[in-house]
Amino acid sequence: MWIYVVRRLVWIPVLLLAVSLITFALGRFGPGDPVVVMLGNRYEESTAERLRDELGLNRPFVVQYGDYMWGFVRGDFGESLRFRGRPVRELVLPKMWVSAQLGFAALVISVGIGLPLGFFIATRQGNWIDPASVTLSLFLMSIPVMVIAPALLWVGCLKLSWFPCSGWGGFFDSRLVIPAVVMGVPGIAGITRLMRASTLDVLGQDFIRTARAKGLSEWRVNSIHVFQNAMMPIVTILAFSAAGLIGGAFITETILGIPGIGRFAVDSIFDRDYPVIMAITLIGSIAFVTANLLADISYAFIDPRIRLD
Amino acid sequence: MKKIGLSFIVLFAAVFIACGEDSSNDEFQVIEEKDLSSLDNSSEDPITEPLKGGVFRRIWSDPPTLDPALVSDTTSMGIVAEVFSGLVTLNTDLRLEPDLAESWEISNDGTVYTFKIRSDAKFHDGKRVTAGDFKWSIERAANPKTVSPVAETYLNDIVGAMDVIEGRASEITGIKVIDDSTLQITIDAPKAYFLAKLTYPTAFVLDRDNVESGGKTWTDQINGTGPFKLKEYKIGERIVLERFDDGNSDMNGVQLIIMNLAGGQSMAMYENDEIDITGVGLFDLERVLDPNEPLNRELVIAPPDFSISYIGFNTQMAPFDDVKFRQALNHAIDKRLIAEEVLSNLVTPAYGILPPGFPGHNPQLEGLFYDPDLAKQLLAESQYPDSETRPRIVVTVPGRGGSVGLDMEVILEMWRQVLGVEVEIQQVEWATYLEDLNQNKFQAYAGLGWEADYPDPQDFLDILFHSDSKLNHGQYSNDEVDLVLENARINPDPIDRIRLYQDAEQMIVQDAAWVPLWFEGERYVLIKPYVKGYRLTPMIVPKLSQVRIEK
Repeated sequence: MWIYVVRRLVWIPVLLLAVSLITFALGRFGPGDPVVVMLGNRYEESTAERLRDELGLNRPFVVQYGDYMWGFVRGDFGESLRFRGRPVRELVLPKMWVSAQLGFAALVISVGIGLPLGFFIATRQGNWIDPASVTLSLFLMSIPVMVIAPALLWVGCLKLSWFPCSGWGGFFDSRLVIPAVVMGVPGIAGITRLMRASTLDVLGQDFIRTARAKGLSEWRVNSIHVFQNAMMPIVTILAFSAAGLIGGAFITETILGIPGIGRFAVDSIFDRDYPVIMAITLIGSIAFVTANLLADISYAFIDPRIRLD
Repeated sequence: MKKIGLSFIVLFAAVFIACGEDSSNDEFQVIEEKDLSSLDNSSEDPITEPLKGGVFRRIWSDPPTLDPALVSDTTSMGIVAEVFSGLVTLNTDLRLEPDLAESWEISNDGTVYTFKIRSDAKFHDGKRVTAGDFKWSIERAANPKTVSPVAETYLNDIVGAMDVIEGRASEITGIKVIDDSTLQITIDAPKAYFLAKLTYPTAFVLDRDNVESGGKTWTDQINGTGPFKLKEYKIGERIVLERFDDGNSDMNGVQLIIMNLAGGQSMAMYENDEIDITGVGLFDLERVLDPNEPLNRELVIAPPDFSISYIGFNTQMAPFDDVKFRQALNHAIDKRLIAEEVLSNLVTPAYGILPPGFPGHNPQLEGLFYDPDLAKQLLAESQYPDSETRPRIVVTVPGRGGSVGLDMEVILEMWRQVLGVEVEIQQVEWATYLEDLNQNKFQAYAGLGWEADYPDPQDFLDILFHSDSKLNHGQYSNDEVDLVLENARINPDPIDRIRLYQDAEQMIVQDAAWVPLWFEGERYVLIKPYVKGYRLTPMIVPKLSQVRIEK
């Protein structure tokens, strides 16, 4: 297994290099540049050229790229162009942390409800609960954020006054509830359905029959043999969801006034804030690659039959 | 597959929201949080103490800059104008007023301005403001190293300013320090709008030590001269301004301004007492206008902004190189119908260029009014009467993939129905749009507006239509108009000047350089009843020091 892990680790820098090169090239060779956005409808060619010189945008592509990457590997993500002179690190990391906490809360809701629900439905196969729950979960999954967020605001904030309408106060603050529900509910459906399918699959396996034949109680069979094995495919999903947490959620953050990375990332793309775009893309990629690797490794622990090499 | 589908939905939603945001005005963006003690997790949050002057909470956006020399937009202006100040300012009635200068004299030939700086003018740290500070600040703004996008626009009238802006000199010869409290500025010709230009942040005074010791991020610790100090700025979260107590300020005035930068549903936040002011969008309008609705009592009607939206034609490109064709398109649009039926009268149809209430606005202007028969006749007389041989017409608009706007859709339909002219719409993303616009690449373009920077017709007509202006993206050129605009620049008589600008405006309208579309209409704003003295103004001017919170 360790050989496998090392091999995967060796690939990570290669992958990141490709991602960084593509992102960088798309920014530089695509239409528009940060100076155009900065000057808006007061654009003058002479001012723009001075500004490009000042920001180092007139240097050759290779020099700009090399400069940025050399800084990145040393933990220096450069300076924002939109917020002139401000280190990208200072801008991006706190916002990612906010989004990560919010995403984690949403994941707790999705998993906390989805896993038991999926399992419950699977064990009730054949009666009305199964199709009803599948329909309900499909319905929940289909409600767009733009609908559910204002609806929850209206009920939770304006009518019942249980929660504030906007803002962020950390993980243990009532303002977390609405956004976490908004982001968590669509996930319930996915996890419920996945867990249901996976549980049904496990229930049909020989070793379950064996377990029952051994005279184990139904509870023991379900909790140890079925539930644990059914978890397997969920792990992959969870790993990717966890990696996606730092990406934030643009719409939820915008509607609910949360200073997360989602909105910031989208704005930085429209502002052509190259160093910020690069930092977010690269950190996101690292998170995904790492999560993928961890998921693979975790299979080996959950199911010893899986051999990674 | 699913991933792609999902991200597409997200992107579309982004567009949906972003468009809503763009169309809202700064005055409309308002918020804050209800419980001040829970504002922040940090242990030393200073805002928990009760304040005698009270707190005013609103929504704002991240300012592109807080450096006065770099300001070129209203979002930055809304903060910079409260934290810094200059020789002169505009009051909430948009009249020019002394600020740090207590008085000034203008030489008989109208080119030498001698300002007397107030003896009690000081920076937030108590240091006195001197004439030398002004000279240094303006020269810094002009210095190419500062890379100000607007230095040329606002300072080019000062003798020697262009030498500094273009890097040939480091001192502006036209700015002289006579003594600590006397500053003399010489301009190249007697220009009536010069004082108005000095109200813009480009000419604000800065503390040299503050700027030089702070490096690139000196605006984190601002030592300004305005009525408020910048107490805190967390990007994407909030800005807090605190009243600067210079000993003679009104201590009943609002003490803290909290600007929420994280966004949110401002209407919901207002109703939940998280913010004190919000704009009312189209969807909430009916409810708020209902006299039985409690919110109705908090409704305030704000004066329109000094802005105009329009469709620009590139007058050097076919078919817009033919004045009759351009006129035909103008006459074919029923703007009144669109304003009433499509835009709920939130806008006023524009037939001229200068907005109502703006100096020089001409109610007698002869616009190209809706006249389908005349439109057809003009089309027939133009070089492009036949749709077979007419070049393909594309109007480019900026956007993030959402709708191009109901008004544009109706206009295209009117062109099709009245004239049989087919026009295509092309939507491009903002940065791309600006790049092509600046290179005058568009055949026709819309989705743009122009907003006044200072209350003088020069700011609209000269800047947008003089053939040498770089912002004349339609490459409109009329020697007669140029001549009138040049005369108006230096005409010392205010009445004559206005008349010249009105002549120029009439010619521009007659030449159909644009289709002027809309002047901003009256806007509906909700303000909490305990907020007193908040003036809604058509331009951003310093005004927060007049606000009182009477709970």
